[in-house]
Amino acid sequence: MAEEFEPKIVAFLCKWCSSAGSDLAGVTRMEYPSNVVPITVMCSGSVSPLYIFSAFNKGADGVLVSGCHPGDCHYIKGNFYTRRRITMVKKLLEYIGLEPQRFQMSWVSAAEGTKYTQIIKDFVKELKPLGPQTKLRRNP
Amino acid sequence: MVNLEDLKKETKKILEEERVKYIIGYKRGSNGLMPVPAFIKNPEDVEKLIWDPACVYNLSRFLVDEKRRKAKEKKPDERAVGLIVKGCDSRALNVLLQEKFINRDDVYIIGVSCENTGIVDEKKLAKKLKGKKILKIEYSEKDNFVTTTEDGKTEISAQGILAERCLECRAGFPVIYDVFLGEKAKRKLDNPCKSLENIENLSGEERWAFWKEQFDKCIRCYACRSICPMCYCEECVVDTINYAVATDTTAEEKAQRIKWIEKSPVASENIVYHLVRAIHLAGRCIDCGECERVCPLDIPIRLLNKKLEKEARELFGYEAGLDPDQVSLISSFKDEDPDDFII
Repeated sequence: MAEEFEPKIVAFLCKWCSSAGSDLAGVTRMEYPSNVVPITVMCSGSVSPLYIFSAFNKGADGVLVSGCHPGDCHYIKGNFYTRRRITMVKKLLEYIGLEPQRFQMSWVSAAEGTKYTQIIKDFVKELKPLGPQTKLRRNP
Repeated sequence: MVNLEDLKKETKKILEEERVKYIIGYKRGSNGLMPVPAFIKNPEDVEKLIWDPACVYNLSRFLVDEKRRKAKEKKPDERAVGLIVKGCDSRALNVLLQEKFINRDDVYIIGVSCENTGIVDEKKLAKKLKGKKILKIEYSEKDNFVTTTEDGKTEISAQGILAERCLECRAGFPVIYDVFLGEKAKRKLDNPCKSLENIENLSGEERWAFWKEQFDKCIRCYACRSICPMCYCEECVVDTINYAVATDTTAEEKAQRIKWIEKSPVASENIVYHLVRAIHLAGRCIDCGECERVCPLDIPIRLLNKKLEKEARELFGYEAGLDPDQVSLISSFKDEDPDDFII
């Protein structure tokens, strides 16, 4: 039997909320799929669209951008800027024909370890039927 | 109809008063119909100026070059540069002013109105006249253009040969100017994003097939980047060396630099290049359509920018280039921005 496809997810997590949330999931020993590669950034607002395109280009099957809940940003309004920018990126990626499920955004606070594990579980579940992402990938 | 004599008179006056260094306008080129940019310093040279529906170029791009040239000069001429602008070009100026790339004093704007018509699409026109050499094209009284070929004059309906962008233009007159020629006329538009419909109605996979074919063609000549008045970054992310190499930069340091996008024109890299370009122009592109016009492989680049323009308008109520004092799209936000896609 062929091995089941395991998607690779690149997650850009903000240092103050989402990254702490994923840490909480880790220290409380919650189980979640190991498909995710977390990258801590100082703020979700510092995620350049180029990071996202580049992640897909270098082989990610899915990309997640996660930040603090609106109003909870460590830098007061960083995540509001993220929201606008990511909306545009999402629209653009859908427009050129990338499956919309492959790019997601979430709000995860430092206390939401459970929500983080659930997001990853759902993301993996959604990506599995899609198969590997070859559209933006270099030398697929 | 903007009267050419009025345009000449205005430019002559400005040059004679020595208010500007030089004036950038259009003159007859050596290659038939399409005009070339004219840089006019002497008042007597204004006779060379032309204004017809073939004046497609967005001359505001020259301000980017002018700024760089000025920065290198020891004793720069501080006078403004005169610029002949159409509606779309004036919106480009507004964005440059908004981003504080140029100062209002740096430019003397001579606005010419397209008055309900616009400029022609060279390719559409050639198709219409089946390869006949066009000697002259003029605005006619009605919504028509009069073309003169070797066989004589023909009147062609403007709708058939207008550039795509002009058919979707919301305001065919300059929104910022020092001198204004013509009339402020707004055309009624049923659907300002008509060109997008064909693609938007496709399924995801069909859209991908379409864009894949387009991006496969790209040879990465960067003509779209060179012509764009908004692409003025000193360093571009696609260039292999986009960081300072000093004498003490080691080979290892150079090797470890992130190469975001490979130089080779393969589909995967071309896509990232065009996506980056599109997203960098989100909320800045004023739809002058120059990128698409200069593309030697006819990639419909404009459709990428147009899509983001549409989304910006529909989701955030943002229009680029109408007001030099507005806050840019991605450096502002509203509490009620859409967030239904966020988990």
